[in-house]
Amino acid sequence: MTIEPKPLPEYHLPPLRQVGRPLRRIDALGKAVGATVYAADVSMTDMLHAKVFRSPVPSARIVRLDVSKARALPGVTCVLTGHDVPEAKLATDMPGQTGREQRTGSDAPVLAADIVRFCGEPIALIAAETLEIAERALERIELDLDPLPGVFDPHAALAPNAPRVYGEDNVVARWTIRKGDLAFGMSRADLVVERTYRVPFVEHAYLEPEAGTAWVDDQGVVNIRVATQVVEHFRTVARALGLPENRVRVRGTMVGGGFGSKEDVTVEIFLALLARATHRPVKLVYTREESFLATAKRHPFTITHRTGVTADGRITAARIEMLADAGAYPYLTPYVLLYATGMAAGPYRVDHLHVDSVAAATNQPFTSAFRGFGGPQAAFAYESQMDEIAKALGIDPLTVRRINYLRTGDTTGTGQEIRSAAWLEETATRAIAALGGRTPDGPRQRIGRGFASYFQSYGRITWFHDTSRAWVGVEQDGSVVIRCGVPDIGAGQSNSLCQIAAEVLGVPLDRTTIYTTDSAVTPLAGTSTATRQLYMSGNAVLQAAQVVRQSLLMEAAAAWGVEPGRIDLFDGFAVVSGEPTRRIPLAELARRCAATGRALSHLAQFNAPFTDGIDPETGQGDIWPDFTFGAQAVELAVDPETGEIDLLKSAACHDVGRAINPVAVRGQVVGGSHQGLGYALMEEYAVAHGVARTPTLAEYLIPTSCDYPDTAAIVLESGTGIGPFGAKGIGEPALTPAAPAVANAVADALGVRIHDLPITPEKVLAALDRRRTETGAER
Amino acid sequence: MSERPIRLCVNGRMHELRLAANATLLLVLRELGYTDVKNGCEKGDCGACAVLLDGVLVNSCLVLAQQADGRSVVTARGLGTIDDPHPIQTAFADAGAVQCGYCTPGMVLATKALLDARPDPTDGEIREALSGNLCRCTGYGQIIEAVRLAAERLRAGDGKEAP
Amino acid sequence: MTLPAFDLLVPRTLSEALEVLHESPEAVPLAGGTNLLVDLRGRRRTAGCLLDIGRLEELRGVSVDAGWIVVGAGTTIAEFTRRGVIVEHGAPLSAAARVFAAPPVRNRATIGGNLVDASPAADCAPPLLALDAHVELRSIRGKRLLPIDQFFVGVRRTARKPDEILTAVRWPIPAGRSAYRKVGRRKADAVSVASVAVRAALDESGVCRTVRIALGAVAPIPVRAREAEGALVGHRLSPDAIAAAAGFASETAQPIDDIRGSAAYRRRVVGVIVRRLLEEVSREEDR
Repeated sequence: MTIEPKPLPEYHLPPLRQVGRPLRRIDALGKAVGATVYAADVSMTDMLHAKVFRSPVPSARIVRLDVSKARALPGVTCVLTGHDVPEAKLATDMPGQTGREQRTGSDAPVLAADIVRFCGEPIALIAAETLEIAERALERIELDLDPLPGVFDPHAALAPNAPRVYGEDNVVARWTIRKGDLAFGMSRADLVVERTYRVPFVEHAYLEPEAGTAWVDDQGVVNIRVATQVVEHFRTVARALGLPENRVRVRGTMVGGGFGSKEDVTVEIFLALLARATHRPVKLVYTREESFLATAKRHPFTITHRTGVTADGRITAARIEMLADAGAYPYLTPYVLLYATGMAAGPYRVDHLHVDSVAAATNQPFTSAFRGFGGPQAAFAYESQMDEIAKALGIDPLTVRRINYLRTGDTTGTGQEIRSAAWLEETATRAIAALGGRTPDGPRQRIGRGFASYFQSYGRITWFHDTSRAWVGVEQDGSVVIRCGVPDIGAGQSNSLCQIAAEVLGVPLDRTTIYTTDSAVTPLAGTSTATRQLYMSGNAVLQAAQVVRQSLLMEAAAAWGVEPGRIDLFDGFAVVSGEPTRRIPLAELARRCAATGRALSHLAQFNAPFTDGIDPETGQGDIWPDFTFGAQAVELAVDPETGEIDLLKSAACHDVGRAINPVAVRGQVVGGSHQGLGYALMEEYAVAHGVARTPTLAEYLIPTSCDYPDTAAIVLESGTGIGPFGAKGIGEPALTPAAPAVANAVADALGVRIHDLPITPEKVLAALDRRRTETGAER
Repeated sequence: MSERPIRLCVNGRMHELRLAANATLLLVLRELGYTDVKNGCEKGDCGACAVLLDGVLVNSCLVLAQQADGRSVVTARGLGTIDDPHPIQTAFADAGAVQCGYCTPGMVLATKALLDARPDPTDGEIREALSGNLCRCTGYGQIIEAVRLAAERLRAGDGKEAP
Repeated sequence: MTLPAFDLLVPRTLSEALEVLHESPEAVPLAGGTNLLVDLRGRRRTAGCLLDIGRLEELRGVSVDAGWIVVGAGTTIAEFTRRGVIVEHGAPLSAAARVFAAPPVRNRATIGGNLVDASPAADCAPPLLALDAHVELRSIRGKRLLPIDQFFVGVRRTARKPDEILTAVRWPIPAGRSAYRKVGRRKADAVSVASVAVRAALDESGVCRTVRIALGAVAPIPVRAREAEGALVGHRLSPDAIAAAAGFASETAQPIDDIRGSAAYRRRVVGVIVRRLLEEVSREEDR
């Protein structure tokens, strides 16, 4: 059956000059010639080298910690333990700039002094003249531990007498949705399909391990250079050290990959403590093993879907239960759980919906943000479930979805209205069509095809009252400067802002320069997380640039005696529309403004929609500013004797609203898809009783250049996003549909479904064996 | 511990060093200021530290600096600069092959090694040549295009002699 | 993480290296370092003194000598993918080299190092077993040749004496056709879950005269599946014979459960690969 792409509605995007062009990113060449400075590349004279002493076990009481021999080692300048800095607490949630109060109970000790709750928990800090000396000092720390019973499974953690990792009952967070009347909805169903899905711990595995350098300057301000997604952690550091917020300065570097794990505080507080204790610059660089051990993972989830459907495929009711592993400390668990809950039913109309989700603390690695933030886990479950429903009803998977897709104007599971384009069928049909003709089965290959639709929010939770700021100015020579706190984590965050300013001020991209990521001097733009920077800081830059533009136009209008509306800024000139000879260079216009006292710069603040929280019992209310919609389709070949899976084709189609830079958008689609394919097929951060069995990149495998074909990226632009020029967001959405598309393709190939990730050759053979026993025959 | 004087030519510049035996080439290069050579894992799993040693692609974390005595090393900075980039580097920038950029210096050198040996590689040859350089951001698609683009441009004669 | 401190001795000739090793048998020979340096950094082994034999000319070189292919132990894995003599007369070894680790590692890792490291998953071992290779071990006492199937004695343990250097591997120009396949958890740069090298020589009537079936990563040491081999010699490689041999090969395997795969999976998949490789070489022979 050939799939016809659903025709797109008529829409008109105004032509643009810089935005929408595949321009070379401003940061690309510097990185290619090796000139870009990353956090580990920063060195200062008289610098000390730091190491962190960590717990070798996941659950214990510290009986004796003796650092005297480490302190006595020649070349060791400072050793700090939890007893030296008892007030130092790490606020693990609410990164960023909002004025909201931190959730109670989300503190973690900076250095464990009494109980250790996960393998790798920091216990002491060392600063020494050389890295080698610091490493030797680690070996001289004496630690006696009394093992405590641990809990290594969220189910077990919720049992009445489970060892306590967090609070009274290990419950880190709960969310509930009660929409409609579940019993009524189920009574309307001709069939009820119930399945349980599981996803594991996964590691971000960015190429750059965590690193930073800190020093105290001549005014007593703690300066921290660090690879971070959140410049606003200067507040978290200040709180941990008992300093005023204006005495900590975070100057971020270009980040070598973040994906959510450099959203948490990593090295900053350690560095600040050591820099203040030693009065010297201190540098801390994690090894890869340490990066794995010390930082967050993606939440494992167990998700049960119980869906009532009519014989012709309409969903009448759904009951969904979700259990997540929060690991040893809360971090961003409550919000990840919220995302998963809010997206639990998928991009479908479900009038009668109950969702109960809970995250339990365990002595496992702590879990926090990872690209998608609960969305990918939810999508693996809901899209697998849609195909299970289709199979149970004998209806094809696309038809079942068509019947139930959300449309603009519908409400989600939390009752939030979809206001932008919801091009679900448009994207699904295009992704499927892009696979072309089906490869025939062979003696060693069973072909399977599958796709997944998704929706994923962009912009932060609206009751966080998110804001961003940017400053745009024109220099006397007509060159443009942008100052914005935005951390660039590799997706082109800073480049997009330049393209936007270039568009509005009528200059080529290479006439713009952006200064970023300095909490002291660049306007705070919030976190590079939640697919929010283009939306938030893009709008802030847009606003600031528009004010500057207006100022310039007013000056030109006065000079020429024409209406400002008749003047355009184009290619570095101000020109009267339709009269190309009446033009002056932007530089001259800028000098005139300077002379007449007209503003040549503007600081703008962009506010996201502010809402109150959702109803705690029904889960009804707005959670996010908007959503991105899309789909991915894959074709793969399964070797039925070895279980190996060969991905043959992959195509993804997303409505990004407006592509500011199409090359960068494609990079996000292909890159995000790749991470999702890895999630589907090869990635598992395996933990046994709290101890990792995949401690390095040799055991924790991520895809190489040989593993998967390119994902064909089909980018649609509805122009209906609330970002600049109608843009939505693509950073996280790009990952979300990949794993369920693979799961559905594997089920198609095998005739039986694997309900958990990763889909390994062993699981494939086990599934085939099960099927053979059940059906008594080969397919 | 044996400290021995060695001579190391890096990007055409001669260095005379006294080093302990356990100093890896990665560590020494970074301490000399060649911070374009990145530390991603220090055990040969990721390729971020790759350099050309006498023209051959190696993981500098797995070479003792003393083993490089008398030899020549080329890092990404040795191929080109912002003002005078190598065609491979401009191809990477133009093709969208650079996102976070941390894998990029190693990728660029792996590309150089490939194109020196095979000026007109197939996609399969490109993928294999880069299989020791992990990238977490791009999904490799635009990197492979960058290599093809660089190969075309070099064949067309926008070439540049390596040091 | 810095490497532990050690002395590095750099002999100028092989005999100088052998002298040193005899004086200080605790010195550890270092060539490509792709395993040794990782183990030292990870503190899985200690060494007070390394002996750098990586640049000794006497350990380089590939030649044909009276019907034998002789390859210096210092030959890098990368060279195995390129050298005409090896590609032509050591096909399974060349095939293994193409999927050995990753290119920058292949450019430094040596055949000698891979064998002396003696990981149960050593990629060069099954091909050499299939080729009936010998290893050449030298000390100040002289040179000895050891058949490769006597070289591996346990996990990471070989018959090399502490004062010996593995200087070359050699194998007779092989009769018949060979094939190699490795199963890993991803398509490149992956430690073998199971690997197999097969060689079969048939006479004019299609009866199997010689057959070698070598298994890697499924036992404490790389092993020949001798029962499987014995069942095939003197018979045609019919589908039934091949299937039976594959079954014997599976039973020869003594795999373990580890992070890359379960013992059950390894046992099962090694049988599948043996069967497929036997089919492959029998098809070629029938041409």
